[in-house]
Amino acid sequence: MTITLLLQSILAGLTNGFVYGLIGLGIAIVFRGARIINAMQGDFALLGSVVAYVSLTRFHLPMLPAFLVGVIAGGVLGFLVERFLIRPTEERAGTEDSYLLVTLGGAFAASAAVLLYFGRDSYVLSGVGGDSSINVFDAAIRVHAVWLIIISSLVVTGLKLFYSYTRLGQAMLAASIDVNGSLTIGINVPLMRTLTFVAGGLMGGLAGVLVAPLINIHYEMGLLLTLKGFAAAILGGLTSPLGAVFGGVTLGLVESLAVVAVSSGYKDVIAMAILILIMIVMPQGLLGRRGRRGG
Amino acid sequence: MTRAFIGCACVTAIATLLAGPPSVQAQQGEPIKIGAVVALTGPGAGLGQPERNGMLLAEKVINEKGGIKGRPIKILIEDDGSKPDNAKSKAERLIFDEKVLVLLGPSLTASTGAVSAITNAEGMAELACTGLGPKIELTYKTLYHLLPPQVLNARAMLEYTTKVLKAKKLGVLHDTGYGQVVMNSLNGLTGEYGVEFVSVEKFEVGATDTSAQAAKVRAADPEVLFIIATSPVPFRNAREVRITQPIVSAIGSSSYDYVRGMGEYADDIVFPEFVVGEDPAPHQTDFVKRYQQEYNALPKNYEAAGWDAVHIAAKAIETAGPNATRAEIAKAMRGSYSGTLASYNFAADDMTGIELSSYVYSKLVKGRFTRLPFAAK
Repeated sequence: MTITLLLQSILAGLTNGFVYGLIGLGIAIVFRGARIINAMQGDFALLGSVVAYVSLTRFHLPMLPAFLVGVIAGGVLGFLVERFLIRPTEERAGTEDSYLLVTLGGAFAASAAVLLYFGRDSYVLSGVGGDSSINVFDAAIRVHAVWLIIISSLVVTGLKLFYSYTRLGQAMLAASIDVNGSLTIGINVPLMRTLTFVAGGLMGGLAGVLVAPLINIHYEMGLLLTLKGFAAAILGGLTSPLGAVFGGVTLGLVESLAVVAVSSGYKDVIAMAILILIMIVMPQGLLGRRGRRGG
Repeated sequence: MTRAFIGCACVTAIATLLAGPPSVQAQQGEPIKIGAVVALTGPGAGLGQPERNGMLLAEKVINEKGGIKGRPIKILIEDDGSKPDNAKSKAERLIFDEKVLVLLGPSLTASTGAVSAITNAEGMAELACTGLGPKIELTYKTLYHLLPPQVLNARAMLEYTTKVLKAKKLGVLHDTGYGQVVMNSLNGLTGEYGVEFVSVEKFEVGATDTSAQAAKVRAADPEVLFIIATSPVPFRNAREVRITQPIVSAIGSSSYDYVRGMGEYADDIVFPEFVVGEDPAPHQTDFVKRYQQEYNALPKNYEAAGWDAVHIAAKAIETAGPNATRAEIAKAMRGSYSGTLASYNFAADDMTGIELSSYVYSKLVKGRFTRLPFAAK
């Protein structure tokens, strides 16, 4: 293995890892704030990317406003999911399984809607810097991928500060940890849950506009991304946004290094075997909190 | 008596004039039903939808010309959703409920396997929009294929690579579905063509990134890169990791959908295929022109396969007679046919009879297919 090949696999792994991590981040936000596994997270990304694409190509918006519109679209979808899927399920005393099933149903419906209105073709969303790439000792990484990594890192940092130092962030956490206690001290728990899904939706929309230029927009993109993001979130710790990104990067690097070090045919076997090992040793995830033992 | 006779003659003449031209009058007969099971949804939709378009256009053109001995044809199309079990149940409905005379399709090899067991048992002709699949298909004497076997696709790739590009060291990026099937055939031809695969990397169907695999192939420094996949992703990734060698692909990747997905990397890629809509061969001009008028788009290979399927079926029914049995129609089909896609010989061992000479080579130049002068022999 040459240095160039090793570098290329690391760059590919980092890029893919942050793709998984961004989706995992959204899953972790929703789980942290509502204790619900959102199977529609990848479809938030799909909608965000589709709206950005339409804004760019049909309405001819400049790139930044088009991306912002895509992010906001994700947030709006998050709001609608909470209002019309999650809340009715909660009112009917839904269990964890119910929430998972209802969001899974929503995921299939979203995918079918994109298929209906946009067809089965792939669409290319322009990225930052177009298709240009940066040369790193003869290995290449797309300019857009660099921006994806930078923006993801900033978002994770921002979220950490939000949950730690803002009243709203702490209120959202409190509402998920202890509903009755939060109500007692005057926290509007239903509003916090709605905001959690809006935040998850915004994160999904952001993931969509950042990821789509690298993988093409396709109606099946949502579920594929959710699966990878879920793996990243579980690996990193389902309640930790930073953990989700860390888990995603770990997954991406393990996959790409397995390709170059062993064989592309065994990529998934090796990657999943390592992940299973990590989960056995650290069941709470790489950065998740240990469960309380004893009293 | 004479006045009555003249009166009848006048009435008959007036009625004949009012009835319209003979072809319209002749199409009052019961339609001849031809069934089709294609993948309009699911992973195979990229094949099935173009096939359907070609079939419907052929139906329209044949009926405009008077149908089969005055009777119109009706293509009954069912969607198998790219699933073999659905293909089987849809085929059963067409065969036993609708009583179609010939079955066209399916679009995917697994679905063909499921359906051909039924058509074989019924002794009816099936024109599959797939190449020869598992060996059991050779035992089915009424199953005909409109697309070449994968070994021929592999040969076509190697013909261009060795005779035009003069390359011996090859790298391959392929998916684990369609790509693996073609790769298996390529592996069996290395000795004959004197080539060596210096790097072969695979990825799962639907993979969103293949950069690591592409980097590994690049490190092996091949003279030419084969990319065999039903996705634009590996084509993009190959150029993103700075693979500058020429790329040769296969017919399954030659699609306008994939070209759009490749973005600005849809360049310097050669496809051995059959139809180049931008520059059709003389015998394909009429089909391309009609398709453009009907759908406002250029056709490619699978559209032509659908078009040929209907014409072949119609010709066999005309030869055997519209009232012939299914077995008689299947027998009438067993011969040579010069189609738009290719020249067929359904009496050949592989029940296709397509030869290398039917291939047309195209090159993607800045997102546009251009026909190359090379012809394989």
